[in-house]
Amino acid sequence: MIPFKPWLKLYMILIRSSLQSRMQYKFNFILSTMLAAMIQIAEFLMVALVLYKFGAIRGWTVYELGYLFAIMTLSKTIYRSLASDVHHLENYLVEGQLDQLLTRPVPVLFALMTQNFRLMLGEILQGSFLLIWSMRHMMNSGQLHAMSIPYTLLMILSGATILFAIGLATASAGFWTTRIQELQTLTEDAAQTAAKYPLHIYPSWLKSFFLFVVPVGFVNYVPSLFILHGEYGLWLLLITVGVSLLLLILSLQFWSYGLSKYQSTGS
Amino acid sequence: MSTEAIIEVHELHKDFKLSVAKTGAFSGIRTLFSRDYRIRQAVHNISFSIQPGEFIGYIGPNGAGKSTTIKMLSGILHPTSGEVRIQGTSPGQHRRQVAAQLGVVFGQRSQLWWDLPVQDSYDILAQMYSVTPQQLRQRIGTLNDLLGLEEFWKTPVRKLSLGQRMRADVAASLIHDPDILFLDEPTIGLDIAAKRSIRVLLRSLNQEMGKTILLTTHDMDDIEQLCNRVMVINQGELTYDGTVQQLRERIGLPTLVRVIFQGPFQLPINLSTTLLPFDIPVKDLGFIRILEVDDRSVLVEANRQEIKAMDMLRELSTWGEVDDIHMNEPLFEDIIHTIY
Amino acid sequence: MLYFTLASKAYVRNLQYRAAHLLHNVASVLFGYMYACIWIGIGEETSLGAYGVQGMTSYIAFTQASLWISGFATMGLGIPQSVRTGQIALDLMRPVHLFPHLMSREWGQIAYQFTYKSIPIYLIYFVLFDLKVPRHWSTWLATCCALILAGYLSICINYVIGVTSIWTTESNWLYWTHHALINLLAGFFIPIEWLPHWMQSLCWFMPYPYLLYVPTRIYLELGAIHSLIGSLIWCVLLTLFCIYLTKRLRLKVEVQGG
Repeated sequence: MIPFKPWLKLYMILIRSSLQSRMQYKFNFILSTMLAAMIQIAEFLMVALVLYKFGAIRGWTVYELGYLFAIMTLSKTIYRSLASDVHHLENYLVEGQLDQLLTRPVPVLFALMTQNFRLMLGEILQGSFLLIWSMRHMMNSGQLHAMSIPYTLLMILSGATILFAIGLATASAGFWTTRIQELQTLTEDAAQTAAKYPLHIYPSWLKSFFLFVVPVGFVNYVPSLFILHGEYGLWLLLITVGVSLLLLILSLQFWSYGLSKYQSTGS
Repeated sequence: MSTEAIIEVHELHKDFKLSVAKTGAFSGIRTLFSRDYRIRQAVHNISFSIQPGEFIGYIGPNGAGKSTTIKMLSGILHPTSGEVRIQGTSPGQHRRQVAAQLGVVFGQRSQLWWDLPVQDSYDILAQMYSVTPQQLRQRIGTLNDLLGLEEFWKTPVRKLSLGQRMRADVAASLIHDPDILFLDEPTIGLDIAAKRSIRVLLRSLNQEMGKTILLTTHDMDDIEQLCNRVMVINQGELTYDGTVQQLRERIGLPTLVRVIFQGPFQLPINLSTTLLPFDIPVKDLGFIRILEVDDRSVLVEANRQEIKAMDMLRELSTWGEVDDIHMNEPLFEDIIHTIY
Repeated sequence: MLYFTLASKAYVRNLQYRAAHLLHNVASVLFGYMYACIWIGIGEETSLGAYGVQGMTSYIAFTQASLWISGFATMGLGIPQSVRTGQIALDLMRPVHLFPHLMSREWGQIAYQFTYKSIPIYLIYFVLFDLKVPRHWSTWLATCCALILAGYLSICINYVIGVTSIWTTESNWLYWTHHALINLLAGFFIPIEWLPHWMQSLCWFMPYPYLLYVPTRIYLELGAIHSLIGSLIWCVLLTLFCIYLTKRLRLKVEVQGG
């Protein structure tokens, strides 16, 4: 595997230069970050306004919804910042830049991930704001307690792992199809949007789809059942972590299978 | 094969499966699930070995299999059959180990980070290739003397000119001090000055630093000025492997000669009864071919491998009083064309 | 005739991607389906006013299909792109006014999206849900007018966004703000009458309700046809503004020398 220290150092260089190049235009940087955060919040506001008017969606309050939203945003932000170009593998396949990465003495996935670091400050702002807002309220009302904080952090990390695994598996399909944008809209954009709401509002076929086919439900919904509602028990969190690791292993397998296919056919 | 070879290639094959596109309704979807394909042999039965310190030109028309070979040598593609050894190791099986000993430059695309300053790209690469900061400083120092990297040190790669970018790219491939360099069309699209500076650099890398270099190009000047050995690939097969000089001789393209006579001249044949071109035998050596005739001059061609220049002059001077002679050596470009 | 050629070229250019776009519709349908599920969930506990559950699913289905007419225009009508490449100077040199030129191209795009996005998406919802459909031919006619005006408004707004890029160099964020406003103020997900009062009064000072909310109300036979007058007024105002901006743009480009 990859030695951890060089990996960390690489990201430090990437983050530093990405910050430097964007800070060149300070005003633009601050303005666009603030706007990104506002636009992100508008999406939540849309649903929050409905709940403000009608109370709850099948027993879920606006704070619980904010919590789901925030977890999804933060998990996605971690995944898309650290593995930005996994999502853009299509470009590499079309323009042949993948060959370039194959000349490096490191695993190709590592080379791909360190091609780019995307600084998503707007998303971080929106996600943290929503998370603190909703958790504070639920703590005050006694719905959450001190242990909820480490649970939540664990959930964000395992969520990021799940989203990364789904993204990697989708990207790997590109070794056969080259075009992956349409598939990504389904497995990433639509799925991530769907899991911003409690899955039981969907008919059972769709709910099963988001639990077993494109398992975004494990990012926030499943562990929230325990953390927010105390349903099932702590083992639900363990299952979530287990699922995220299993998905990670499977998607890595699929990736290397796809890569070896690429190397033997050179599509 | 010699035991001290740095690169050995033995009976290398690469087939590509091309799926046959369907036509008609839902063609896109049906092609996706199609099992129909035909096989194209991109590289067919290629063997060669390269000694340390050689500078080799690898040439051939587009689609001949040059890039496919380079990709197999660097572990990007796996061969269908046959064997590649880079310093004794197979790049297909131990890609990462081999990659650490190679520098690879693709002229068409950059290996640098598009939005980052050149310097940052080197920092990242140094991390990847486990080059210590001291080593990096020292190597950059050496490369800076050769390439003048300082002038664009802090410039983002996207803002570099093509020539600067190529210099930065070549330097990037040398950061880990590899023994072997693969260059895929390093001079493509460059202006004359930039080409010249890249060539000067490559020559000193080869002659002073002892790097083994394999270069593909469409620019025959690259080959003539740099390489001591040429390999020609055509339709996946190696059609020539030897020196540039031998290649010239083997093809034996004719030298064009225009002779201007001082006064009237007499051809050894009767022009009115003969159609041009006409071959005049010279001793037992070969022929001088007459191409054009006007009232003061004659255009002839002859193969200089068969007939020496002096023999040709002696024959021509028997036709009349020679005033002036223009000789055109065959262009290397044309030699290559006849080989393809 | 020129304008028709521009439009049909834009339409035909898209045709080559239609297989991918039809596949993409699956994801688009899923988005609207999720929104409908939210309303169905809410409707189980409370009554949904004048709409009812069936009305709200019909509402979502119609807005989701209409988005491809009045929601998803080419970003800034492609002006930011041509400012970056310098193409804008060439476009301004042509003997055609930039505004109708870009507008006809965008109408081609809208026509394509209507055929290959709106119609298939709505048909899928029609199969999935029990949708309300207008009973009077006059409603169909009024809906068509409302949608055409909405498309026109969307083109104008995007033209404004695009033209400002010559001053700001970065118009991405304006485009995204526009999208956020569509989410909140155009009735994309919540009918406007259910917004808090201050937001309601705010949005009736903007063209946003005429993009989705007004056409949808008319289609569902809940809104009065005379609200189209509002659409018309906005069309006139925005057209004048666009023409004014083009003058300023021409001046600016001439000063800069392209």
